Amino acid sequence: MADPTLAARLDVSGLGARFDAVTAVADLDLSLAPGSFTALLGPSGCGKSTTLAMVAGLLAPTTGDVRLDGSSLLGVPAERRPVSLVFQKPLLFPHLTVEQNVAYGLRVRRPAGVGTGRASRREVATQVEAMLERVRLGGLGRRRVGELSGGQEQRVALARALVLRPRLLLLDEPFSQLDADLRAEMRALVRELHDEAELTTLFVTHDQDEAVELADTIVLMLEGRLAGEGPPETFYAAPPSLAAARFFGATNEVHGLVEAGCFRGQGLLEGALTVPTTAPHGPAVLVVRPEAVGLDGEVPALVTATRFAGSDVLVDTALPDGQPLRVRVPLGARVAVGDRVSLALDPDRCSVFAQEAER
Amino acid sequence: MNGRWGGRLGVGLLVAAVLLPVLPLVVWSAAGTWRYPDVVPGRLTRRGLDLVLDGEVVSATATSLLIAVTVAALACAIGLSAGRAIGLYRFRGRRLVQFLLLAPVIVPGLAVTLGIQVFFVRYGLADTVLGVVLVQLMPTVPYAATLLGAAYANLDVDYERQARTLGSGPLRTFLTVTVPLLRPALVTTALLTFLISWSEYILTLLIGGGQVTTLPLLLFAAIGSADRTAAAALGLLVVLPPVLIVLLVARRLRGRDDAWMGLARG
Amino acid sequence: MSQPVVSTGPTTRQHAVRRGVPERLRPLLLLSPALLVVGVFFVGGVAQAVLQSLGRQPFLGQTDWSFDAYRATFADPAFRASLTLTLRVVVLSTGLATVLGVAVALLVRRHARGPLTTLLQSTLAVPHLVGALCIGLLLSPSGFASRLGTGAGLVDGPQDFPVLTNDAFGWGIIAEYTWKEAPFVAVVALASMTPHVRDLEGAARVLGAGRWRRFTSVTLPLIAPPVAAASVLVASFAAASYEVPRLLGQSFPATLPVVALQRYQDTDLLVRPQAMAVATIIAVLSLVLVAAYLTLVSRLSRRSL
Repeated sequence: MADPTLAARLDVSGLGARFDAVTAVADLDLSLAPGSFTALLGPSGCGKSTTLAMVAGLLAPTTGDVRLDGSSLLGVPAERRPVSLVFQKPLLFPHLTVEQNVAYGLRVRRPAGVGTGRASRREVATQVEAMLERVRLGGLGRRRVGELSGGQEQRVALARALVLRPRLLLLDEPFSQLDADLRAEMRALVRELHDEAELTTLFVTHDQDEAVELADTIVLMLEGRLAGEGPPETFYAAPPSLAAARFFGATNEVHGLVEAGCFRGQGLLEGALTVPTTAPHGPAVLVVRPEAVGLDGEVPALVTATRFAGSDVLVDTALPDGQPLRVRVPLGARVAVGDRVSLALDPDRCSVFAQEAER
Repeated sequence: MNGRWGGRLGVGLLVAAVLLPVLPLVVWSAAGTWRYPDVVPGRLTRRGLDLVLDGEVVSATATSLLIAVTVAALACAIGLSAGRAIGLYRFRGRRLVQFLLLAPVIVPGLAVTLGIQVFFVRYGLADTVLGVVLVQLMPTVPYAATLLGAAYANLDVDYERQARTLGSGPLRTFLTVTVPLLRPALVTTALLTFLISWSEYILTLLIGGGQVTTLPLLLFAAIGSADRTAAAALGLLVVLPPVLIVLLVARRLRGRDDAWMGLARG
Repeated sequence: MSQPVVSTGPTTRQHAVRRGVPERLRPLLLLSPALLVVGVFFVGGVAQAVLQSLGRQPFLGQTDWSFDAYRATFADPAFRASLTLTLRVVVLSTGLATVLGVAVALLVRRHARGPLTTLLQSTLAVPHLVGALCIGLLLSPSGFASRLGTGAGLVDGPQDFPVLTNDAFGWGIIAEYTWKEAPFVAVVALASMTPHVRDLEGAARVLGAGRWRRFTSVTLPLIAPPVAAASVLVASFAAASYEVPRLLGQSFPATLPVVALQRYQDTDLLVRPQAMAVATIIAVLSLVLVAAYLTLVSRLSRRSL
């Protein structure tokens, strides 16, 4: 469990950033419990890196407040915040060795800044060495940073941030420039370091798989605003918004009407596609993931295409009014183009959103 | 905030420091009488303007232009050729060549020209425009070759290959593909070499022997005389074209640090 | 079309080159005009200067080798005064231009980068000859600064104004070089303060480095190589320029380039080897300055933190 004396609680309230006419972040509220691992997820340009920069102190917010364990960080310059940030690029100082890079923060920080105070030369050397071991770079301390591979560089950057024993660790898409294999390895390392170093971690990424795999909590950000927050499963089972559902790859959208607590597919035969919902009366969109649709129901559809997808088969169908619906079925299923099938939609795995929400 | 006012003060000081020395030049060029303790001239005159339009100055301007344009054109041509070798080929002695091309930038032209003047006298090039053009290639060609070498190094030769496979001959490919791709660097190089030549005094004096009269030579003589109005008017005539050119292409030049190495020597 | 493997193999631009010349000779052919210019004028000039300084003047019928010119030059107290003056001017101008240039770059980067960069760039285009005129009109005893001083009641006339032009110390020369070259250093420094440098400064900031610490431990080491190169050019220019010290300095002691030309223009042709000796000394001095400076910088940049 996290040590409350080290891992901090982060509260962001009403945070906003405006550059001239452009609003990058608007009215963002966010709370991170001590020791939690939160992914701030969103497409590029959604304002997540801007948010991180404001938490780190590299950018002054236009509105709102950032509090660490209840005390505001506004007015505290970045170099005095007990927060470490690992950037998208490793940003290792090219004129220093690996060791000197990791030791940098320990040498330059002021007593009131990150950590507890300036350390002696020997202490620094010991801490740096231990930290390099922990990121599996033991023995590479004397290397010039130009001699490192991409993964090694990012591990040095991690070590450089963690050696300061930050109360909050910020990661700004640190693996987005690495190969897939390396990325998986680095995720595991980060999660491991988080768990053993008793950290509160805020991890920015545009990759939903990465967020789902790593984080306890996902905060989805779209166009500068909060678009949903919760454990990863929520975003699959009951996405908080149509945009959130789309971002998590729910490809099926059926347009229809909500009447008397029930969604009805437009133009469909009476009683065919109906799903109970709490959405308000009016035009609405039903969202369902392909894997939540079966072939053993009563919604009539025509198979228009099938595609082999490795462990299963993707079947494209057309509803009677022409709206497409994709179904994921097991490999054994015998379905061919032109077949008439009857679809079953699991009501618990369908989400209905009022049409206006689409904007 | 404190820092902002400090910054404004700094910016103000900087602008003042840059512009203050130019102020008396501008005022003197139009000053008829400007007695000592006065901070502003007593009377303005158009004598400076008349002087600039005088036959001797006009012909010196023409000579300066002729020399500078010729030098810029030759330096670009030579630089294009050398730049291709430096930028695209890996050959033995490449570093030596680069060093040789850098040496004239570091070793002063005056020292070299004192030595070589005897050649120019012997081969009848002293006191001629041609001789002055040739000697001015010495400070300009290294820049042209280095700048265009860098441009060639960034050039994707596959564009040329593509043009060749589409049926374009070598010369046509060069003119229709290579030159347009190198255009930004070529423009910079042409301007830079023009400015170096336009500002050159001592090489012109040594090789031109006073027979080839360019604007800097007239300006030098005017500064030596007691006529401050004449000197200032000529000074403005010499300084305006380079400054205008730089203002026009300022954005293009921004960030090309190597390009500025030459200007500093003007 | 087959491409030989000797080079990176670009298509060449001339039929003559493509048809007649083997691939490996192409760079040489392409380089020949430039090498001709540098070889004949530069190498030839240096060689001639050295030879003539050693007493060989074939065109004047002198063919004896001797170190007389150097002996006479070094024995001359006037030369030693010139050497001191030249070194003083070079060191002070280069130092001031470098420090001020980097300071200006930092200032410009934070405030109004665009217009100020254009202002700096336009001063680069000012010929030194005009710069010398400007400094003269500003700093001479009856110049603009003196008038302003009188107006403000600080100065009692031209005699009372400090001698800043054609002075023994070389203030006027130093002022001109600094005024012209500090913007040059600033422009180079600005160009080297890339977005990447800014990102690295951000990284240093998050790691706890304050403003001064960021400058000394990150910014300065990163911009040092291009700034050093610019300083080298400033130094070699300051050591070798003729018109600025000729207009803003004294005729005795004058800087070395002025002395070289004085001796060169002496009606007594027997003084000419001394002119060549001084020219050679200037060339050697420039090279030594450059080498010393580059060694110093590389040693400094290797020392970390």
